Amino acid sequence: MLEIRDLHAAVAGEPILKGLNLTVNAGEVHAIMGPNGSGKSTLANVLAGKDNYEITGGEALFEGKSLGDLEPEERAQLGLFLAFQYPVEIPGVSNMEFLKAALEATRKAQGKEEWDSVTLLRKARETCKQVDLDPQFLKRGVNEGFSGGEKKRNEIMQMLLMEPKLALLDETDSGLDIDALQTVARGVNSLRSPERGIVLVTHYQRLLDYIVPDFVHVLSNGQIIKSGGKELAHELEEHGYGWLTGDRNDGKDQSA
Amino acid sequence: MSALLSPEDLKRQALANVQDATESKAENPALTALRDSSLAALKAAVFPGRKTEQWKYTSLQPLADGHLNRRAAAAATPADLPGLGDYRLVLVNGRLDESSSALPDGVTLKREASRLEGLTTPFALYNGAALDDAVTLEVAANTDVAGTVQVIHYADGDQPAHCNTRLEVVLGTGSRMTLIEQYLGRGPVLTNAVTAIETRDNAHLSHYRLQSEARDSLHIGTLLLRQSGVSRIDSYQLMAGSRLRRNDVRAFIDKSGAELNMNGIFVARDRTHIDNQLCVEHRVPDCTSNQVYRGLAGEKGKAILNGRIHIHPGASGTLAELSNKNLLLNPGAEIDTKPELEIYNDDVKCAHGATVGQLDAGQQFYLQARGVPLAEAKRMLSLGFVNELVMALPDQAVADWAQPWLAGELGQSRGADEEAA
Repeated sequence: MLEIRDLHAAVAGEPILKGLNLTVNAGEVHAIMGPNGSGKSTLANVLAGKDNYEITGGEALFEGKSLGDLEPEERAQLGLFLAFQYPVEIPGVSNMEFLKAALEATRKAQGKEEWDSVTLLRKARETCKQVDLDPQFLKRGVNEGFSGGEKKRNEIMQMLLMEPKLALLDETDSGLDIDALQTVARGVNSLRSPERGIVLVTHYQRLLDYIVPDFVHVLSNGQIIKSGGKELAHELEEHGYGWLTGDRNDGKDQSA
Repeated sequence: MSALLSPEDLKRQALANVQDATESKAENPALTALRDSSLAALKAAVFPGRKTEQWKYTSLQPLADGHLNRRAAAAATPADLPGLGDYRLVLVNGRLDESSSALPDGVTLKREASRLEGLTTPFALYNGAALDDAVTLEVAANTDVAGTVQVIHYADGDQPAHCNTRLEVVLGTGSRMTLIEQYLGRGPVLTNAVTAIETRDNAHLSHYRLQSEARDSLHIGTLLLRQSGVSRIDSYQLMAGSRLRRNDVRAFIDKSGAELNMNGIFVARDRTHIDNQLCVEHRVPDCTSNQVYRGLAGEKGKAILNGRIHIHPGASGTLAELSNKNLLLNPGAEIDTKPELEIYNDDVKCAHGATVGQLDAGQQFYLQARGVPLAEAKRMLSLGFVNELVMALPDQAVADWAQPWLAGELGQSRGADEEAA
């Protein structure tokens, strides 16, 4: 489903990813962990197609198509979903209007049946409840005045509605209290299916108590330096990233 | 390329029309007094040129096609005009079509015009001097007009020409009315419009001014508001750019306790032009004015707003605010905005702000990352920028008209179509 080979990428000209390899098959849940500044969020943004995140070498194939050749909206229409670390606020554009535009574009591109507005509203309300988000939020501007936790739940709500083939979650756990974390995890777990791939980008092991991954990868200095099963996350929690990167001081909260 | 047009040329063209056209004087004697006084003032007036400060950003060169040399001929009322009000008046090229018009109880119509004070621009004076028809609406005292009144000014012609269209409205003491002024039209016609409104004590006017003539049209318009009584005017203005669009809005707040609210959205896409000159005159103490305008310009469009607030000596206790935020949709477009405060008084509260920004790249990416194509993302964000004002439109019929209209104005550039046409 996702095939990343020797990927090199630069942000505003500065190399961040330096030969990254990763394969995600349908039905798998992968966790990508790593210290701050290792390139985790860069990977997510490169895959989603953010401006200034440039592929300088290697390739990233999604469903056999080279992501570098596609506009961000084309990637989304193929079934790639990025849950943002910092979802932006869009005053003046209501959440509902936004969902309508997103679902119309993606469902049409994927040959799925289009939802009329009654169906859409019903599904949106149900999905809001599923992630403990007041359906009143559908009328508000996208993320406008939402708390950090509400923004993350709004991301998960969108993801559930859009039913992507591959979901990339960029530090969705950061800034969440334990209740919100469980809600988010329930939402992600409900998406687990043999047809779908999920990639969790996270700094902490905590999220992985609730969403148990099939594979854990450690990203450091733009490369995956170790891969393993779910137990790798526990080892990291115990020893710190310095255990693998060789830098004892490279603990949890150094800024990038 | 047409020859350069000087202020003297414009004046000569305008005067030639009114000095020749004696026959229409007989047609409507009720307009004779205004025509004569306007003509006298027009003779003394100076037309704008490149060096006129208030016309700094707007060239009258499009009039070199000869619009002022020819009056638009009488034309039939189109069948498919929008019905936004409960009652409707239609003026085609400045002439009232009585058969298409109706009014509610408490509103009387006279085919006359009389306002001159406060109308100082040469085009407004020319309008008065050249009138052969006009509509004055009087709302009787203590009348809460049942139903909204829509006045359509339709301009129609296949060749460069002009029409003078005129509406005067007086709201009597204690009256209330919703007035929807709508400018529509097709063809290269210059609409030279004057609307003059007076509100007496305890009157409340909800006023809409919708300007969406075809893009090859031209419009030079004056809106004159006079609050002679303790009254409230809420004015909502929605305007698209065209080959030339110029609006002079002048408000005189003349009785203590009066309140003026003006909201506006203006859009200049492709090669269109719109110039808004606002002037609020606070002449007495303890009045409030609040103005909120949002502007957008895309492609080679050009939008201008000059917001003057003039607080006269003695107008203490004035509260005056003006906010104008603008969005440049691409680097080729131009927006010029300037708040202009002239305050001859210490005891006032006056706030103003003007900004020009661009679409936010992060917001665009967020929408794209959810599958929304870039052009649609831009349209949604542009609509979002003006949404607050659209949501605040109290009249449902106007709001229902405005939403799809704005969605069209803020959608794909029509540049390619226009090139083909």
